[in-house]
Amino acid sequence: MTKYIVRRLLTAIPVLFGLSIVLFVFVHLLPGDPATALLGQHATPELTARIRTQLGLDKPLYEQYLTYISKLIHGDFGVSILDNRPILDEFATRFPGTIELTIGALTFAFGLGIPLGRFAARHIQGLGDGLVTIISLVGVSIPIFVLGYTLQYFLAVDLRWLPASSSLDARLTIPPVTHFILIDAALAGRGDAFIDGLRHLILPSIALGTIPLAIVTRITRASVLDVSNEDYVRTARAKGLTERRVDNRHVMRNAWLPVVTVIGLQVGGLLAGAVITETVFTWDGVGRWVFLAIQGHDYIVVQSVITIFAFIFLMVNLIVDIAYALLNPRIRYA
Amino acid sequence: MALLSVEDLVVRFRTRDATIHAVNGVSFELEEGERLGLVGESGCGKSVTNLAIIRLLPKPAGRLEGGHVLFDGVELSTMSESDIRDIRGKDIAMIFQDPMTSLNPVLTIEEQMVETIQAHRNVSASAARARAVELLSMVGIPRPEARLRDFPHQFSGGMRQRVMIAIALALEPKLLIADEPTTALDVTIQAQVLDLISNLTTERGTALILITHDLGVVAGMTQRINVMYAGFIVETAPTPELFEKPSHPYTVGLLHSIPRLDAPLDEALVPIEGRPPDMRRAPTGCPFAPRCAWRLDVCWSENPPLLAVDRYTRVVTTGPNATHRVACHNPPTSDERAAGRPLGARYRPAPPPPGMIDELAGERIGEVPATMGGPADDPLASGAGGGTSIGPSAGGLPVEPGGDERG
Amino acid sequence: MATTAATKGPIVAERASRGIWRDAMRRLVRNGPALVGLFFIVVFVLSAILAPVLTPYDPVTGSLANRLQGPGSVGHLLGTDLQGRDELARILYGARVSLLVGVGSVVMGLTIGGTIGAIAGAATGRVDTILMRIVDVLLAIPGILLAIGVVTWLGRGLPQITLAVAATNAPIFARILRGSLLANREQDYVIAARAIGAGRVRILVRHLLPNSLTSVIVAATLALATAIIDVAGLGFLGLGPADPRTAEWGTMLTDSTQYLREGPYLIFFPGLAIVISAIGFNLLGDGLRESLDPRLKR
Repeated sequence: MTKYIVRRLLTAIPVLFGLSIVLFVFVHLLPGDPATALLGQHATPELTARIRTQLGLDKPLYEQYLTYISKLIHGDFGVSILDNRPILDEFATRFPGTIELTIGALTFAFGLGIPLGRFAARHIQGLGDGLVTIISLVGVSIPIFVLGYTLQYFLAVDLRWLPASSSLDARLTIPPVTHFILIDAALAGRGDAFIDGLRHLILPSIALGTIPLAIVTRITRASVLDVSNEDYVRTARAKGLTERRVDNRHVMRNAWLPVVTVIGLQVGGLLAGAVITETVFTWDGVGRWVFLAIQGHDYIVVQSVITIFAFIFLMVNLIVDIAYALLNPRIRYA
Repeated sequence: MALLSVEDLVVRFRTRDATIHAVNGVSFELEEGERLGLVGESGCGKSVTNLAIIRLLPKPAGRLEGGHVLFDGVELSTMSESDIRDIRGKDIAMIFQDPMTSLNPVLTIEEQMVETIQAHRNVSASAARARAVELLSMVGIPRPEARLRDFPHQFSGGMRQRVMIAIALALEPKLLIADEPTTALDVTIQAQVLDLISNLTTERGTALILITHDLGVVAGMTQRINVMYAGFIVETAPTPELFEKPSHPYTVGLLHSIPRLDAPLDEALVPIEGRPPDMRRAPTGCPFAPRCAWRLDVCWSENPPLLAVDRYTRVVTTGPNATHRVACHNPPTSDERAAGRPLGARYRPAPPPPGMIDELAGERIGEVPATMGGPADDPLASGAGGGTSIGPSAGGLPVEPGGDERG
Repeated sequence: MATTAATKGPIVAERASRGIWRDAMRRLVRNGPALVGLFFIVVFVLSAILAPVLTPYDPVTGSLANRLQGPGSVGHLLGTDLQGRDELARILYGARVSLLVGVGSVVMGLTIGGTIGAIAGAATGRVDTILMRIVDVLLAIPGILLAIGVVTWLGRGLPQITLAVAATNAPIFARILRGSLLANREQDYVIAARAIGAGRVRILVRHLLPNSLTSVIVAATLALATAIIDVAGLGFLGLGPADPRTAEWGTMLTDSTQYLREGPYLIFFPGLAIVISAIGFNLLGDGLRESLDPRLKR
């Protein structure tokens, strides 16, 4: 198993390297002149020349790259064009909000998806299965923003059951310690803020988590069906075990392995979807920041955040792969 | 009283597109401690029959649609689910073909053995564990205590099958059903595993049903053999008698298709022509008729019942003196048995009746190659029974008109 | 015993197979959901192509006096938008961008990604490793983020947007082609072909690639659904086609969000258009997958 882990780590390294090149290209190798792009309307020949030297644009490409990479390693992603603040710091402040949203969506997707998948598998070809299949299909075909506004309109604006936007009621304030709303509320002993935070979390989690929900449901259903047809399930029944035992111990213990592998991939989709979700719901997180940066032509923020997300995605996948190796005895005791 | 009595068992698989008539009225009995072989090609219903006995048919398609299964005097086919669960593993145990896929890959051997024991007996985990160790050494697995903690993929194929046998015999069942237990194993291991099964069942007086397509396997292991074809039992006899005097054309064909070292060098193998039957069609007439060289007209319309070869003996269904029974309207004579084909000078296998040809499915039924019929003329063209009365050649059916084409 | 006699032995029922494509088509036609999907797709494509015929209105100009008329108002089946433009016309013309970029990006992604994958699968060894690492880099940037990155880098023209979406689906095709080639190259029929002297290119083109065709077709159909959603997503974020007069569903939606209360229909109609088109391709893709699976013999 250690061989497996080492090999897995080794494949990650060239990808990281590749990512750094992509980021470099996106930020520095703009079609046209980056200096002019930065200066925009204020571009005069002398200013442009000065910026070019300042940015090191007159040096050879590989040198620019190396400088850039060494800065990255030290956490210097540069500064935002719009407000001149260091990107990494801004990211750190806003990321917890996105994490909360992501966790909310994951909980929704897996918490509902696995039981639905099991249900569908158990009632295969029946009405329940058909219904679940339709939900899966539609779920995968609805863009987040369409679903988000629909939810907003019907549940928040029309029926007023849940709050329409943002992460917390504007009238409630809690001291930002960790920047996780729920954690901060708990730390401050504010039960009302905690509940309010949860209420605000519901709609965005559903909007963001619906596509993963559809996928998880499908995979769970397929996995349970596959496993149910395996010989060892027949053996378990032949031994006279109760259906409950067969289901939990023999079917599910094998069926949820493929589902685990999907978690990593879903995180990527969630990070990408967070940009749109946070925009729709005016949620305080990195995604919204990216949206504002797009509007403000702050391409440095946009590209840096994309790269950081890619890095996080890579790491999450790595962890999931290792966890899978630990969970699957066939790999663990190969 | 027989330990197991199966009467007119009918099993069908009902799917969206078709109904498969897997078992069509199978009856047999088994005494305590008796060893019965169930032989036939893939799809003949041998496995399904036994799955039906313990009600393990794949749901939702598999349905036990008729007949009775009496085990120790109790009717199994209508029992409640919890009652039959009680019997599974404890009184009737089953082992399957592929030990790699028959064991749960994410559970240790210990867990899989202990759960079986604890499902039927109220014992502590440590007592169950001790029993598991005992069982593993009984089947010949070295260092059993250590091996308990291993996972199935850490055993070799033969070892895994031994583990399956250990699990099956853990609760001293009265009947062991072994479904192709050695088919997935190396030939050298096969013998070992078969010996193990033989010894253990004899020691404990466990009855055995051995399912296989390999005649060599049953020859050494069983006291009686049922030959199945297309969901019917077509012949049943004590083992030595079946090999000496096969009385059903199918059995004759089977025995002749095994190459033998003591046969003359230039003697051709006589294969059974044709393909396995389509189980989607409800059976009419003898199921073997399309491939049978001995068939008569009546074979197309009437399915022969299983009757004693010697019509005047009283039928004994179990034990070493069980009556040799065969389901055939025209069983081969002893010379024909030896030759592997009919020997009448002007004999032709009967052509199918007009209604048989299914235009819709575009099937071709009932042509037997001239090699099996002996004389050179194409049987269909011979005019026997008015050969071309077979009917219009619809749907592109290449039915020969009288006599002009043999090729 | 003459064995030159009839080799037609007794045969029992077998439904004649008329080739994998015919069989697949036969199964597909019987697949209800797939037909529904096909219907949606046809509606989508016809809307795009026949837009000028289907509506008399100009999607670009409208009179402000006419703005924000609700659906069902006189002459405007789906109402008008904030600039007084007929909504139905904008939806029909919007289909053009979705169709163009959707199909374009899939074709581009398939060509580029498929070629990379095929080379990797055929060459193996170091070439394979290097190419696949490049693909992994692309895959490391999840979904729409990659498209955002490319458009932010290259600009908001239609070709750039097409390339951006192509970048997100190219890795999938690369993986499929490579996987298919790797799986098939050890098959007996390949060895047989080599045994009679077929050259590597010939084997690749005549044997290996056709066997990848089914996976590619299914993947391409499903990728179209994703492409349509991604294009709309880009539009939603403000990265759609730069020309403000172009009707594009995502952009239409985001332009109307301030009017959620007064004119929710302006959000729902483009949303519905996106969903229906995407469902169409997803349904068809699933149906194709089922009917092209050679293991399902029916």
